Amino acid sequence: MRRLNPVLAGALAAAGVALPGIAIAQTAAPSAQGDISVTIYNNNLALVQDKRELHLPAGKSKQDFPDVSAQIRPETVTLAAPGATIVEQNFDFDLLTPEALMEKAVGQNVTVVRGTQNLPAKVLAYNNGAVVEIGGRIEVLGKDDRVVFPALPPSLRARPTLSVTLDADATGPRPATLSYLTYGMGWKSDYVALFDEKAGKIDVQGWLTLTNNSGTTYSNANTLLVAGGGGIRGSAGSLMVPGTETAGRERVGDFYVYPIPGRVTIAQRQQKQVSFLDVAGAPAAKAYAYRNPWLGRQDQPRSVDTVLRFSSSKDGGLGDALPAGTVRIYMRDARGAPQFIGENAIGHTPMGSRIAIKTGEAFDVKIKAVVQTRERVNSSKWRTTMVYTLTNARPEAATVELTQGGLDSWWKDTRILNETQASERINADEALWLVSVPANGEATVTATFETRY
Amino acid sequence: MLAAIAGAGAVRAQSVQTSAAPDAVAVTVYRAPDREADRKIDLGWLGGYALVTETRTVAIPAGRAVIRFEGVASGILPESAIVTGLPAGVREKNLDGELLSAASLYSRGYARPVTLRRTRDGKTVEERAIIRSGPEGSAIVETGRGIEILNCGPTEDAIAYDGVPAGLSARPTLSVETESPQGGTATVTLSYLAWGFDWQANYVATLHEGGAAADLFAWVTLASTDMTSFADAQTMVVAGKVNRTTMRTSNPYESPDSFEFRCYLKDNIGGAADAAGIPPPAPAPPAPPVAMYRTAQEVVVTGARVRKVEQEDLGDLKAYRVPEPTTVAAKSQKQVALLGKDAVPVSIVYESKVFSHQVAELQILVRAVNRADKGLGLPLPAGPVALFERQGQHALLIGESATDDKAVGEEVEVKFPIAANVTVEARDIASKGRERTRELVVSNANPFAIRYEADFNLNGEVKAPTRLGSKNGRKLWAAVVPANGTATLRYREIAPR
Repeated sequence: MRRLNPVLAGALAAAGVALPGIAIAQTAAPSAQGDISVTIYNNNLALVQDKRELHLPAGKSKQDFPDVSAQIRPETVTLAAPGATIVEQNFDFDLLTPEALMEKAVGQNVTVVRGTQNLPAKVLAYNNGAVVEIGGRIEVLGKDDRVVFPALPPSLRARPTLSVTLDADATGPRPATLSYLTYGMGWKSDYVALFDEKAGKIDVQGWLTLTNNSGTTYSNANTLLVAGGGGIRGSAGSLMVPGTETAGRERVGDFYVYPIPGRVTIAQRQQKQVSFLDVAGAPAAKAYAYRNPWLGRQDQPRSVDTVLRFSSSKDGGLGDALPAGTVRIYMRDARGAPQFIGENAIGHTPMGSRIAIKTGEAFDVKIKAVVQTRERVNSSKWRTTMVYTLTNARPEAATVELTQGGLDSWWKDTRILNETQASERINADEALWLVSVPANGEATVTATFETRY
Repeated sequence: MLAAIAGAGAVRAQSVQTSAAPDAVAVTVYRAPDREADRKIDLGWLGGYALVTETRTVAIPAGRAVIRFEGVASGILPESAIVTGLPAGVREKNLDGELLSAASLYSRGYARPVTLRRTRDGKTVEERAIIRSGPEGSAIVETGRGIEILNCGPTEDAIAYDGVPAGLSARPTLSVETESPQGGTATVTLSYLAWGFDWQANYVATLHEGGAAADLFAWVTLASTDMTSFADAQTMVVAGKVNRTTMRTSNPYESPDSFEFRCYLKDNIGGAADAAGIPPPAPAPPAPPVAMYRTAQEVVVTGARVRKVEQEDLGDLKAYRVPEPTTVAAKSQKQVALLGKDAVPVSIVYESKVFSHQVAELQILVRAVNRADKGLGLPLPAGPVALFERQGQHALLIGESATDDKAVGEEVEVKFPIAANVTVEARDIASKGRERTRELVVSNANPFAIRYEADFNLNGEVKAPTRLGSKNGRKLWAAVVPANGTATLRYREIAPR
C-alpha cells in the first residue's frame, strides 16, 4: 500500500461511512418505476403508464423521473398528480462523459491530485486541452494529473432523464400517473405448425413475441398487446380469403387486444414469448401450385410451389383471429423428429379466413413451360401455343394447380382457342388447370391462345 | 457472492434451474435461401441456417420457476424455439440478449459500489467507489474524494465487481418460465432455428477416355460460424427450396456493446504518452476467419468405400442423414460423402445458341439421366460440378459449372463454357427482303468425332434443306462433326411480318 496522506485517509474514512449506506441499496436494487402498465403495438410503439408516489414540497419543485424509457417520446408525456400543476418538463439527454464533465467544470473549482499533493485548482478553459490555475500559475493538465470533481453537474445524466417542474398546493405524498409513448418496443406473433401429411392435420401453437430495445427494463408490468393498425402484411405466396367470424377475444374498437396474464418483467434487450394459441388436429392439406407468366418459358424444368392450406374458422379450423406474424411449418422425418420445412408471413387474419401459404418448392414435382409456336394471324391477332410438361418423381400421384397469367394484357381480349384439358378462367387475367400427374410419371397440357394486338 | 447475485436485479423470488448443456443434440442444416447453385459458401457470412434439436434433463422445482438452457446456438432465432416435455408447459420463453461483457457489467453496476484497482509504477492500491455514468459515457465514478474519471490520471485503473448481476449469461442462453404443481426431473426437447450455417453438394465428375462414361463423386460440405459446438450430433442436411420470410438479423450475442475507458484528454495533448490507457476493444469485428479444417478423412476420388449419407424424403424436400453422429464444431467446415458412382453413362454434346446476328460461345454439355438403370437414381441437390478428364494416369480439369436440384428421372445437363478445339462460325450469304441466307460452319480440330447442336433463338422462321429437330419450342440442328473435319448448315431466316 502506498502511504496515504492524512487528508486523503480522512476522506476515505468518511467514505467508509458513506459507502455502506449505498451498499444496502444494492441488495434492494429498487427501480424508480411504480405500478407499471405497458401497451405494445405492432409498429415499434408502446404506451407506458407508470403510477408512482411523489413526495412534493409545497410550491415549485423539480422532480426527476428516472427509469423511464430511453426512447421516450417526450412530446407525448403526460403527468397527472392531484393537487399539483405542471410548470414545465425537461428531457435531459446530455450524457455524462469525461469531456462533458470537464466542459461543465469550466469556471469551477476542482482538486488536482499530483503525486501525493492535493492541489486546489480552477478550470479556466477546456478547448482541446484543460487549462487550469493552480496556486496562481496557469497550467495545462497532463496525463499525470488526476482531477477530482467535487460533484456531478445536475444537467449531466448517466442516462436520459425526464424531469418535471411541479407547483404543488401542499406538502405531502400523492399518487402520480406518468404516461408516455416510446419507441423500441414491438410485438408480432409466431406460429409453430406441425403438419401431418398422411392424417391431413396440423397442430398449431401461437406465441406472442415481444421485444424490448427501449433501453429500460419494465418490472412487473401489466402488459397488453394490441393487434391491428399498421400491422405487417402477409408476404407474397401467402394468400388469405378474409373471414367474417368474430373471435372470442377482447377488443378495443376494431383491434383485438391480447392481455398477458399475470405480471411480467420485460427486460432490456430481451425477447419474450407468451403462448396464446394451442390447437391440435386442425384439418390442413398440401397442394402444388405454379403460375406461369405470359410467354414464360423454361429450358430447365423448375419446381412447383408447395402450398399448405388451412382455415382460421371456428368449425374445422384454428378457431381464432390470427395476429400478423410468421408461420413456421414442421414435419416429422423418418425417425419421427420434427424438421423445419418452411415458413411464411401472414397478415392480421380474421377468424373464419381460409389461408394458403407457400412453404417452399417441391423437389420432385416440376414443370417446364415451352412456347411451342407463336404466329401472327393478321395485323391485330397473334396465336400462341403453349406446352406445359409436368413431371412427378414421387411414388404417388400429384395434382398441380397450373395457372397461366397475363391474359388480361391491357384492354385487349385473350381467348383460349383450344386446350387439351378444360381450364377455369378464375379471373380476367388467369386461367387455371388442375393437372393430375401420375406417380413417377408426367402429364402435358397444351393450350392455344389468341391475343389481340 | 450468492447474495449479490440474488440481490442484484432479481425481481421475484423464483427458483432458477440451469441446464448447462444438452445430453443429445441433432442438427439439420439448410442452404442459404438465395445462394445460387454455382456460388460458393461464403464462410465470412453464412447465409444458411440450422434446426437444432436438443434433449436435456432438467430438475423442475414445484411452483413458478425459471429454467435456463445455456449453450444454445449463438445465432438462435428465439421466436422459433419450441420446448416440449415440461410437465406444466411453458408460461413464457425469454432470450436475454445481454451477454456478460464489460459493457453490461458496467451498465448493471450503475449507482452501485465497486472496487477500483489503481496501479502506478507496479504498485496497486484498492479503493471503493460508486459508478456514476452509463457505459456510453466512459467510466466516471465517485470515490471518497469526489468525482473521478478512470484511466485519466497517473494510475492504470481497473474495476472489480462484487458479483455477476442476475440475468447476464456468459453463454447464449434461452430461458423458460414454468409453473409446475410438483417438482421432479424431466427430459425436455428444445428445438430452434439458428442462422450462421450453410451446406452444399460438391460434385466431381471424371470422364473416361472416349467420353461415354464418367465416375461421379459428391461431397456434402457443411459449415458453421456459430459460437457453439454441437458434439456427436445427429446431422442432416436438407435439399430443395425452403421458403423463408424472416431474414438474418444480427443476434445480440454477435454484437455486444462496446465499452472503453476514456479520458477528457485528447491524444497528444499534455505531453504524456497515452500508454496507461487500456486499449479500446476492437469495434465489433466481422465474423472471424473460419479455420478451414477438413475432417480427417482422406480425399478419395472414387469413393465407393466411403460412408455415405442416407437419403430420405421430408415432405416435398429431400433430407440426407449423416449415418453416424458427428461433431458440428463452432467456426468450422466439414465434408461427408454424398454419393460415389463409377462409370455413369454420359453423352457429350457441343452446343451453341444461334441468334440473328451472332452465335453465342460454344459450350460443352455433359448429359446423364438420373435413373438407377442409367447409373444414377438419387435426388441430386444443387451444387457446383468440377469436370475432369482422365488421361492415362492423370486427371485434367476441363471446367467448373453447377447443377440445380435434379429429381429422380430427370435429365441432368451440365454446361461447361469452354471448347478450344471446336469452333463455330456464321456468315451471311445473301439477303433479300425479309429473308436472309446464312451459313453455319462447325470445325472440329479433335482427333475424334463430336456431336454438335445449334439451338436457334430467332424471332423468325428457320428453313433448311436438312430436317431440323425441335427442342423447347425452338428449332435445333444436330450434327456429327467428323474428326479433324467440319460440318456446314446453310439456312434461311425469314423475319416476321
